[in-house]
Amino acid sequence: MATLAATTCKVRFAAGLIFTLACSSTALAQEAQRLHDDEWPVRSTGRLTLDGGLVMGRSLTLDTGMATGVGAGLTYGRRFAVGARASWASATESSTVWTVTHDDYTLRGVAAVQQPAGRGLFALRLGAGASLVHESRTRNQGQRAQLTGSDLMNTATALLPGGELEAVVAVHVAGPWLLALSGGPSAIIDDGALRAGWTAQLGVGWQP
Amino acid sequence: MRRLALLGALALSACGKLQGFGGPAPPLASFTMTLNGDPSTLLPAGVPDVHALRVALVWGTQWLTEPFCVLPPEMNTNAADVIDRGCRDPFGFVPATAGVAASVPLDPSGPTTITLENLPSADLLVGDITSRVAYASLVVFDDRDDSGTLELAAPHRTATGRFRGGGGDGENKDVPDSPDVIYGASFVTMTKADSRVAYREGDFMQSAFYPRVGCAPPSPGFSIVGAGGIDNDNGKALMTALAGQLPAEKDPASCVGPLPADSLVEITAQAPADVEEVGCDEHTADSSIRYRPPPMDAPDLTDRRTACVHLPTFDTGSQPSTLKQVVVSGRTTDRCKGLTHYTLRGCRENVTCDVPDWDLTDNAPSWWASICN
Repeated sequence: MATLAATTCKVRFAAGLIFTLACSSTALAQEAQRLHDDEWPVRSTGRLTLDGGLVMGRSLTLDTGMATGVGAGLTYGRRFAVGARASWASATESSTVWTVTHDDYTLRGVAAVQQPAGRGLFALRLGAGASLVHESRTRNQGQRAQLTGSDLMNTATALLPGGELEAVVAVHVAGPWLLALSGGPSAIIDDGALRAGWTAQLGVGWQP
Repeated sequence: MRRLALLGALALSACGKLQGFGGPAPPLASFTMTLNGDPSTLLPAGVPDVHALRVALVWGTQWLTEPFCVLPPEMNTNAADVIDRGCRDPFGFVPATAGVAASVPLDPSGPTTITLENLPSADLLVGDITSRVAYASLVVFDDRDDSGTLELAAPHRTATGRFRGGGGDGENKDVPDSPDVIYGASFVTMTKADSRVAYREGDFMQSAFYPRVGCAPPSPGFSIVGAGGIDNDNGKALMTALAGQLPAEKDPASCVGPLPADSLVEITAQAPADVEEVGCDEHTADSSIRYRPPPMDAPDLTDRRTACVHLPTFDTGSQPSTLKQVVVSGRTTDRCKGLTHYTLRGCRENVTCDVPDWDLTDNAPSWWASICN
């Protein structure tokens, strides 16, 4: 009985293999189907655009490392648009003495010039506002040395003016949904000094 | 609008200055010491004055003396004299090679504070990861070369002969002692009262690493501990150690601590000859001996003691080894005690090897016979 079952199984496997090869040969023989705009219709006609996604960029206050986090924003308008954006990004880096974490909470007012092109949208977006930076410093080896209190860990918070100029590319995918990508130089003023870096965001947008 | 203004004021009230990686780093520990006595009255020969007194924190290492130094000296030889001149205190504090962790100028007007910015590294800690400890001595020294730190010294061996696979004087480079002079230390030897810096991680298990039998263990982290000294009357501590046991403290009531790390440690100024071993590095810590081929030309034995003895044997009642060695002590002017061992036949790693790296038994140097018939 076992031999008969094994033989049946082999026959089924061979038949399945032949059927699969035959189907793939037929598909290769036909011309590849292309998507048409009417299959993925774009329904965006409004002036409001919301977007959100992952943010990354150089940590401006640590002067080293990559800050990562999330951000979201909205713009209102057609060729000229205005709006607001908010984000949080965090970076942790170490020296021989300290392990420092900076959490940057940014709030920006933005003005954008944008141009639709097919399913896409190109824009140049200027943002300005404030960054609330929360610093947390831990003395390396401090716990092993039984340090406590401010000798082991200290914090500080600073509100710093800043801004960025970003190029934005958004592609309408389906319905009101967009894939949005932006990036460009950024800067803050910390203790009277200008600190420059860059920022980027990858996310999704929604334009009704 | 008023709410927005209030929110802005709240945000600004939370402002502070970001420091990032900058700003002063709090030390991991601070120790305070004071020196009792005047080093200028203890100047060794050839040192005209006290130049710049400093205090250094020096971590200790595990070290076992070599058998020649603890076994009974061979009869009818100069062995006892060589042991006296060439063997360091088997219970003394031995600094780790990279054990000098900090050094600050000694404050002549009052207590001196020395801070540590780093924990002792893993190679300075003795024990496993759940229970390990390090001990350090606070060493007062005259920084005569203005290097800002204590340079450890090492014994000065005599010349080495050539052997198969290398050797010769080229590999026996003698490094001169630094001019630093040591005038005191909080932990010189286990046979005398000490105050030592302790760093402990995890549980504490009594071990043979500078034991303080009967004393309270160090606190987790940094602390100051001390002991009155182990009982070494008539070599009692040595016999106990050779029997595989930890030597007991002479007076368990003399145990000190654990005290907070910033407790005042008092150091008494001593003659450099009595304390300078705390600045002596040891290249081998496991009691192993490196035997060397004798050079064909007589080594400079000026101000050294020599003895011709059999290789040590450990089995009670067994016959002495047939192979003899010439043991040479250091000089009286050396900062550190040490021995040089010559054999006519042997290997770099094993003196009793079957295929020797050198064999001069039929061609001994002419000077050999004057020491070893």
